[in-house]
Amino acid sequence: MTTKQSMHIDPYEKNWIRLSIGLLVMFAAAVAVAGFALGIQVPTSEQRVDPKTVAEVGPWANPGLRELSPGKYEAYVLAQTWQFMPREMTVPAGSEITFYITSKDVQHGFKLQDTNLNVQIVPGQVSKLTITIDEPGEYTYICTEYCGLAHAAMFGKLIVE
Amino acid sequence: MAGHKDSEHEEFHPKGTIVVLLIFVLTLIILWGSVYVILLSRGVTV
Amino acid sequence: MLENYELSPGEKKFIGWHLVFGILALSIGSLFGPLQAFEHAGLDLYPYLQPLFKSYYQGLTLHGVLNALVFTTFFITGFLTLTVTYGLTRPLRYPKLNAVGFWMMVVGLVTTAVPLLMDEASVLYTFYPPMQAHWSFYLGLTLVVVGSWVEGWGFYYTYYAWRQENKGVRTPFISFSSLITMVMWQIATLGIAAEILTMLLPWSLGWIDGADPQLARTYFWFTGHPLVYFWLLPAYISWYGMLPKQAGGKLFSDSLARLAFWLFLLLSVPLGFHHQFVDPGVPAGWKFLHAILTYSVFLPSMLTAFTVVASLEYAGRQRGGKGLLGWIRALPWDDPSVTAQLLAAILFVFGGIGGLTNASYNVNLVIHNTAWVPGHFHLTVASAVTMSFMGISYWLIPYLTGKKLWKPKWAVIQSWIWFVGMIIFSNAMHVVGLLGAPRRTPLGLAPYIPEEWNGHLLRVGIGGAIMFVGMYLYVFIVAKTAFAKHAEPATVEIPVAEAMHDPQETPDWLDRWVPWLIGTVALILVAYGPQLIDQIANISLTSPGFKVW
Repeated sequence: MTTKQSMHIDPYEKNWIRLSIGLLVMFAAAVAVAGFALGIQVPTSEQRVDPKTVAEVGPWANPGLRELSPGKYEAYVLAQTWQFMPREMTVPAGSEITFYITSKDVQHGFKLQDTNLNVQIVPGQVSKLTITIDEPGEYTYICTEYCGLAHAAMFGKLIVE
Repeated sequence: MAGHKDSEHEEFHPKGTIVVLLIFVLTLIILWGSVYVILLSRGVTV
Repeated sequence: MLENYELSPGEKKFIGWHLVFGILALSIGSLFGPLQAFEHAGLDLYPYLQPLFKSYYQGLTLHGVLNALVFTTFFITGFLTLTVTYGLTRPLRYPKLNAVGFWMMVVGLVTTAVPLLMDEASVLYTFYPPMQAHWSFYLGLTLVVVGSWVEGWGFYYTYYAWRQENKGVRTPFISFSSLITMVMWQIATLGIAAEILTMLLPWSLGWIDGADPQLARTYFWFTGHPLVYFWLLPAYISWYGMLPKQAGGKLFSDSLARLAFWLFLLLSVPLGFHHQFVDPGVPAGWKFLHAILTYSVFLPSMLTAFTVVASLEYAGRQRGGKGLLGWIRALPWDDPSVTAQLLAAILFVFGGIGGLTNASYNVNLVIHNTAWVPGHFHLTVASAVTMSFMGISYWLIPYLTGKKLWKPKWAVIQSWIWFVGMIIFSNAMHVVGLLGAPRRTPLGLAPYIPEEWNGHLLRVGIGGAIMFVGMYLYVFIVAKTAFAKHAEPATVEIPVAEAMHDPQETPDWLDRWVPWLIGTVALILVAYGPQLIDQIANISLTSPGFKVW
């Protein structure tokens, strides 16, 4: 074959590729700013637990809030078919709450409505995220992963006073 | 072999394509941006 | 040379069987779509289906498995058999090998369908452990996947035979892109193969006591995202390689079309963690890396957008379209195959935008596991892909059967119905998802629904009803065509678009496998290797199985 080979990129298309790359870099920068400068983060690997015993020994044997210092809480949440333990928690407005969530049976989800707290719950793993809620009100937390027949009924309430 | 073909297409500049794609980019920025704004408005998770 | 090539009656029949099983699966799986949509709108019909179908989740599992896994895999392997052989203008090298693959898929389908219909596998199409289906469900899925591999090997032998006969010739685009699709699929499905063979199958058979749900998720999404490209790339093959011809134009750039496909091979797999952004057992740094890699796979889709739209603009102008946008009107909107694919592409614009949002690391916190997600993938797999496959079948079924398409006008209307239903449905799902509505949930039963969701949930039901009409109009039209006794004979020419520049001018490095394959494997090792090693080294098979439906 003696045909001359070349890439033949139309000038319009060349500019389109430049624009596309620029756009993606811009979005990536916006995501990085939100993540690393403003501190809106996703969960990272935390610790492992044994799903067979997690409801009997350790902090999830007694799920609920622990006050570390005024306005600073830890919330140990145990998910199981088809309820969250505890079903209700109350904190003062402006509290910083660190959630430690795990499951003793199947996978679940934990989404605290109107906030960015939204995690997958995987048996054997602990989903940890920290949030601060300033606005008083009732915040529903719902199960967002299919966990069996009564999945739709699985929810709880965080009351911010 | 392809010489005459090239000149045949020399005329064609996809101007309409650029218009369509710019509308797409604008839509992309608006829709993506609106979810990003929701993210920012829902507070910090660490 | 293409014009003179004709598939043998046996090959046509073989491809036709793929379509029969695929469309049959689609027509059963789609029954449950409106049931879910109506449930959201407050009308739960499941109680009336007792004892045939036990629950919302049995229906949802059938919907996902039959539509997204079975319909797609059968249609795609059938379509690729056509694009490989017709593009290379030679028959399959070992037709018996492909037949073995196909019948393996059929056996797999039946093996999967039995536990599904008996409510022994209502685990949804992601089958996350420790929810445990009957072992035959996992075995059946394995057979479907391995069957598709065997058909793929048949394609490779065919390509190799062609290459021996045609040294130095550029691989014809439709065959080239089909082979890449199959190679990508075979690499991608290693994840699900590892998940099922090393964990789920022995676990469901009772040979091992526990599963590791986190590792299973990692394996699953190794396959789960490229699965999306396995659905999408055949639609792209049509958009690049066929649609320009159907619209009366040419492929704008052969070399960029090929480059896009190589980039899909390179980038489709190493980005699965973007489905696991909120997983507890994956370090955030790896999630961010996969977010960036997902952004980079957006690039070949942006290339596709330009090349396809430019090819269509050229076609519209050839047809007398004037002005900046007048060419759009000039396209053959009376051709059902063209209309279906154009509307598919329009919906895909919004699918792409939603996809980029999902992939954006922390932005995923807003929409993860909400109704937004099924809203999104109904724009991709159920619109861009399914509508394109519908459009393809509007010429493919007449080609295979030699019978004219039954009432092409109705086929045009069918596409518009699906399009309108999908816009209503997917928009409502996106909006209600942003408001916090979970996916995979019979919301009619949920005690926590705020008032503001109700209007949107009603629109979900309305959209679903319209789509129901669109789907069964499609099934009716193709069945009416295929099984007509006295149909007018059709002489269908397979639409293969010519490129504006001779493909022989396309650089040689765009027709070479080895460097691209090495790059693909290397990138997967970098993006997945350390995490896979870590998760496998720390495997804890602690979760017993649960049947909770």
